[in-house]
Amino acid sequence: MLHKIQILRHLRLGAVLTLILVMAISVVGQAQQRTITGTVTTSDTKETLPGASIAIKGTTTGTITDIDGNFSLNVSEGQDTLVFSYVGYETQEVGIKERDVVNIELQPTRVSLEEVVVIGYGTIRKSDLTGSVGSVKADDITKVTASNPVQSIQGRVSGVQIASPSGTPGENPVVRIRGVGTFNDASPIYVVDGVILNDISFLNASDIESMEILKDASATAIYGSRGANGVILVTTKKGKEGKTIFNFSSEVGVQDITNKIDLLNGKEFAKIYNVIEPGHFNNVDAVSNTDWQDLIFSRAPIQNYQLSASGATEKMNYYLSVGYFNQQGIIDKSSYERITVRLNNVYHLTDFLRFGNNISFAPTNQQFAPNVTFQAYRAQPVIEPFNEDGSYAEVPGVGNPIAAIEYSNSYRKGLRGVGDVYGEATIAKDFVLKSSLGIDAGYYKNTSFLPVFYVSPQQQNELSELNKSTNENTSLLWENTLTFDKEFGKHYINALAGYTMQSIRSENFSLRGENIIREGESFWYILPTNILDDGNNVNTVSSINNTVNNDYYYSLLSYLFRINYTYNNKYIFTATFRRDGSSKFSEDNRYGNFPSLAVGWNVAQENFMQDFRFLSRLKIRGSWGKIGNEKIPYLARFSQIQNDIISIFGVDPSTIAAASYGLLGNSDLKWETTTQLDIGMEVGFLNDRLTGEFDYYHKVTDDILLALSIPGYFGNGSGQRVFFNAASVLNRGFEINLSWRDKIGEVKYGFTALGTTVHNEVLEMGGTSGVDSVLVGGYLANGQAVTRSKVGLPIGSFYGYETDGIFQTQAELDASPHDSQAGVGDLRFVDVNGDGIINNLDRTFIGSPIPDFIFGFNFDLSYKNFDFSLGIQGQTGNKIFNGKEVVRPDPYNFEAHVLDYWRGPGTSDDEPRPSFGGYNYSPSDKYIYNGSYLRIRNIILGYSLPEAWMQSVYIQKARIYIKVDNLYTFTNYTGYSPEIGGDELSTGIDNGIYPITSVYSAGLNLTF
Amino acid sequence: MKNTIKKYSLYITLALLIIFSGCKDFLDVEPQGKLTQENFPVTPADALLATNACYTTLRDWNYHSGGFPILDIMSDDARKGSNPSDALSTVGPYNDFSFTPTQDGLDRWWTQLYVGIKRANVVIEKVPEIAMDDALKNRYIAEAKFIRGLLYFDMVRAWGGVPIVTTTDPELNLTRASAEDVYTLILSDLKNAAENLPNTSDYESIDVGRATKGAANALLARVYLFRGDFDNAETYAMAVINSNQYSLEANYIDANGINGNNGSESVFEIGALQVGSTSAGGNQYANTQGVRGTPNKGWGFNRPTENLRNSFESGDPRVEGTIIDLGDVIVDIEILGDASTPDETYEDGNLVEVECYNRKVWVPGVTTISNWGHHRRLIRYADVLLMAAEALNENNKPTEALVYLNMVRERARGGNEDILPDITTTVVAELRNIIYRERRHELAMEGIRFWDLVRTGRASQVLGPLGFVQGKHELFPIPQSEIDISLGNLTQNPNW
Repeated sequence: MLHKIQILRHLRLGAVLTLILVMAISVVGQAQQRTITGTVTTSDTKETLPGASIAIKGTTTGTITDIDGNFSLNVSEGQDTLVFSYVGYETQEVGIKERDVVNIELQPTRVSLEEVVVIGYGTIRKSDLTGSVGSVKADDITKVTASNPVQSIQGRVSGVQIASPSGTPGENPVVRIRGVGTFNDASPIYVVDGVILNDISFLNASDIESMEILKDASATAIYGSRGANGVILVTTKKGKEGKTIFNFSSEVGVQDITNKIDLLNGKEFAKIYNVIEPGHFNNVDAVSNTDWQDLIFSRAPIQNYQLSASGATEKMNYYLSVGYFNQQGIIDKSSYERITVRLNNVYHLTDFLRFGNNISFAPTNQQFAPNVTFQAYRAQPVIEPFNEDGSYAEVPGVGNPIAAIEYSNSYRKGLRGVGDVYGEATIAKDFVLKSSLGIDAGYYKNTSFLPVFYVSPQQQNELSELNKSTNENTSLLWENTLTFDKEFGKHYINALAGYTMQSIRSENFSLRGENIIREGESFWYILPTNILDDGNNVNTVSSINNTVNNDYYYSLLSYLFRINYTYNNKYIFTATFRRDGSSKFSEDNRYGNFPSLAVGWNVAQENFMQDFRFLSRLKIRGSWGKIGNEKIPYLARFSQIQNDIISIFGVDPSTIAAASYGLLGNSDLKWETTTQLDIGMEVGFLNDRLTGEFDYYHKVTDDILLALSIPGYFGNGSGQRVFFNAASVLNRGFEINLSWRDKIGEVKYGFTALGTTVHNEVLEMGGTSGVDSVLVGGYLANGQAVTRSKVGLPIGSFYGYETDGIFQTQAELDASPHDSQAGVGDLRFVDVNGDGIINNLDRTFIGSPIPDFIFGFNFDLSYKNFDFSLGIQGQTGNKIFNGKEVVRPDPYNFEAHVLDYWRGPGTSDDEPRPSFGGYNYSPSDKYIYNGSYLRIRNIILGYSLPEAWMQSVYIQKARIYIKVDNLYTFTNYTGYSPEIGGDELSTGIDNGIYPITSVYSAGLNLTF
Repeated sequence: MKNTIKKYSLYITLALLIIFSGCKDFLDVEPQGKLTQENFPVTPADALLATNACYTTLRDWNYHSGGFPILDIMSDDARKGSNPSDALSTVGPYNDFSFTPTQDGLDRWWTQLYVGIKRANVVIEKVPEIAMDDALKNRYIAEAKFIRGLLYFDMVRAWGGVPIVTTTDPELNLTRASAEDVYTLILSDLKNAAENLPNTSDYESIDVGRATKGAANALLARVYLFRGDFDNAETYAMAVINSNQYSLEANYIDANGINGNNGSESVFEIGALQVGSTSAGGNQYANTQGVRGTPNKGWGFNRPTENLRNSFESGDPRVEGTIIDLGDVIVDIEILGDASTPDETYEDGNLVEVECYNRKVWVPGVTTISNWGHHRRLIRYADVLLMAAEALNENNKPTEALVYLNMVRERARGGNEDILPDITTTVVAELRNIIYRERRHELAMEGIRFWDLVRTGRASQVLGPLGFVQGKHELFPIPQSEIDISLGNLTQNPNW
């Protein structure tokens, strides 16, 4: 009884919440004549069904079943039919003439008999799916402690590679679906409850119901010009029919660096110094020993809380939540803080009309530390961090990293609002019309302040400097779709037609002032009266800039169509077509057509398969389609005016403004187009205890935008290039997903294993020889470029000298082609072109940053109240260029392997004699590391408290857990992490990144 | 319910009609805050901006023969300079004529000249359509034509016939025009400029530095002289002289120095400010050649040769006006030079180079940035006088020629009657060589010597020992990158 009172109380609470949401539900009183009572149960499990709706046909009057599935409803005379409904069950009408008690069984709907998969602009039964779609559910999405929920896909969906460019709090990971398909932006798009976006950093993982990763053309073609790099659909949680449920989750953890880089200590450094410059240190035992890594890194807390309330009444479903995420960086003065608020409602206005909204707000607060990792890596260990008077010591060449942190003040505040409001009407039998308005609005304010300081001649600032900038961007998306869904006989048809418009706008504003009158934070405003010039006179703001974000200012208009036809649950046919128009292209090339065709065959449904009882599922499917990439610079088609030039005239020469034709645009530009073929098979054995999914994909992207040289007489100037649709890239490979799920007594367990192979190859470049046949990229801190993209090789392949040991003797040196700077004990570069000399022309391809195999392994187990899960992920075949090691003209610290240096003939064949810079540090395969790794991504051990205990404190369910993220990574790489993101042309280059951390945390989930 | 559905259907139909009719404009999104070639130049103010931009080209580092003064380095007046290893493989080959079609700098020079030509074409093509004051409009167009003529003359001298671009929207597969056609365009442009440009004295003081009638006439004289058309060379050189707009600086140093910026001797010069960036108004031309080491005023390329030093007539003070030696003190600044540069360089036992620097690009000051303020003289009056002397002499008027030749010598003499006596010979052949010699000494290190040797047919005789091959090195090779990009539409010069 107490229990029921509790529930009633919560129902009331739910009602209060409803009021808060400004949702008035009018309950129309009726003249009552009699009372109908009864119980609603399910036909499959025979369990009672709480929360089922009972309505009197032809009215808006109704009720819902209580916790035991019972209901009681007053009906008037003439009201002779009740309509029973519940999500996932067939709606049933029951006549009540001469009946006071109605006990009925609801049949599960066809769709709910099996898994339903969210696809673009709709859902589909998994058995009717012809596309390749990976899925991650709520439970797995919260397993990783990260600001961006997309991190949770890592190691859980085949075909997807996720890499963090760094461990900077709030940093978005780099996501690649089925390889790297372009030199331009190869990131997928995200669709959150129908709103198309570029990232999902505003989402709290706990608000997500599922994420579906659309991979092949059949699945992505409905997104047309934006589908080529894959689509990640995110569905946030909705209220489920029944009483109000509160969920509270809290997680607190501590982050620590996973490992330190093995650098020389003071004494070792002094010894190596003395090898290079004999006698530099008189007594190597007397030198200081500073571990700079210890000084810049410290353990840092991470917290995540979320409270949600959800439920549904007859008239509405509601889900509302508030979340708070706070990550302090392991480097001081870096942090990320985010509040998330979400309101997801559906209002059932009439039996044919619904309105709904999914609205979220996320204020963020971020602080950035300077890149001191690279400084600490290079700082000499023989330098004490502080002088005797307590001031910061000079660290030759690189600056004092602790001082760099001290004087840095860099903040970014943001407010992101993402949501949609829609109306949905059943306009005729089987037809549903939906109109939705989606908004993605972001406002960001950056502030950075550099005070006056002096550490050393290289590390000082004479005038304080204040930079402020804001950027705002808004995307408005209006989508109108008409869906037809009908099953008749053995035929099932689901068809969709739609029309959408999207406008994307942005504006940036930045101001800069020097010599601010006071240093304190309360003076961080660009106010001319507070900005002084050298003579302490009022100065003007030194720089103003007001522009738009060129990648975020365009409009799209689209028509979309899809038909899905299934015959007899066996034969499936899907055709998709989207026509996109984009303002990024000139009128002649404005529209692009993106078709796709797919077929599927549920072999297991065939009669001849009925003897193979162990085979519960067997589907073969294939798809073909063309999809596009329009993430290209919108200015590329415009011929620009150069007006940042000046001329000098006058007896007293002064600057006079000038402007003329500048960079030539190409008005013929069009979409990059990917043609993708996918052949897949899905199998299930032993009543789907063992399932498998296998795919082969073959993706060719044509018309990739590439900046090419044009004849000089166009007057474009030296080195200036013009964009053309010129290059082609191939990605192909296999994907495999295996899953086993079973129960032994009270032990439930399951595991999934997945793997993806990637073959990435440039098929075509702008030219077959000369400058247009290669694309240079991958810049190191000293400006050297170490990647080249070229026909026959993967995108962004590493480029440099090949080494072949070390010159052991003078005779060997003399007998071999060598650079004039090479001496005995130095690296021997291979004379690749065989011309007898070593020069730039001998540089060659020395490795690919793209893994050829990506894998994941997940295991979970539960026994009584205990649950355990383990996630492992990794990749093989990719290389890393240790860029931070080669940028060194001066005496910087070394990685420890330098201790094995060549000391005379035969002593080493891979570690040259020590030097502070120069020849041995030319980019070569000496600095290429194997990037393969296997990472223990997370381990979770949970315990659900016995329900009996909990009921006494009115709690339905309570679970506590402990967890470790990134516990250990098996790798040969010497840096902090072998997972190194970067843009398309500079992936896998370690220029000294903010390390990724291990996170040790404990959490609590409560449901009440 | 049916009615309701009908009502909604009506609304939906209406809404769809509205959005479908509005969709054409929906996709027209203009670049924000960016002028494009569709909306510039359209106003009188635009016309001025576009005209000013023509001059900006001349301050670009690459305008100066691809960044390095290779025209002097290729002559007998100068060697590569800097320290021995600096740019040995990039600039070094110009010193001994071992450069190739892929040589560093050639492509930059070629493309930069076309940048300037494009900017001139913008004015010539677009400004006529702008409604504005006709006099001003004609001046702007004439300024652009002067610049276009100047740049095409640089091109035709360097490469012979080149693709002629006179529109802002050239064809994609242009081929090389004949040198004759290029000259036709140059002469037409410059004559139009000479007709429509004001005299130097007619400009407001803030406009000083723009192209003038005198500059156009002087350049015409230079073009005709290069072509051996002495009648016309005489006509246009005399037009400059008779305009009474110009006179020689009293002090030879001021002819290129800071005191003579926009001075009476300057016929056309490139203004610059003392700032260390081109975009802010500086010019790296003098920084490339400035004293290396102490004071650190530049990279020290283009080092005057001992051959040049020794060729001067005894006592000619222009040696000091041309060469900075170690130990010199220039207005309290002592020249100590560069540690990585040998004080003396010998070849085959002969002293060919001592550490010294080009005096003509000196700007007072000890900073690197000071040299960025050098106003490079493209045409100065002394050159016009010598061109007049040469043309008159070739036209068999040696007596008149002597007048102008001796004006130059008199100024060089600086009042010292013991040196550089007046020339008196009226034997044309004799005088011709004397004028050649005078040109070498007066105009040394100003990028003129190499073209003088080529146009007078003396190049193989004088430069042969340095590697010059007759029939080949009179022209530069077309940059290989341009031939590659043209997919064979551009052909290479003979013997390259």
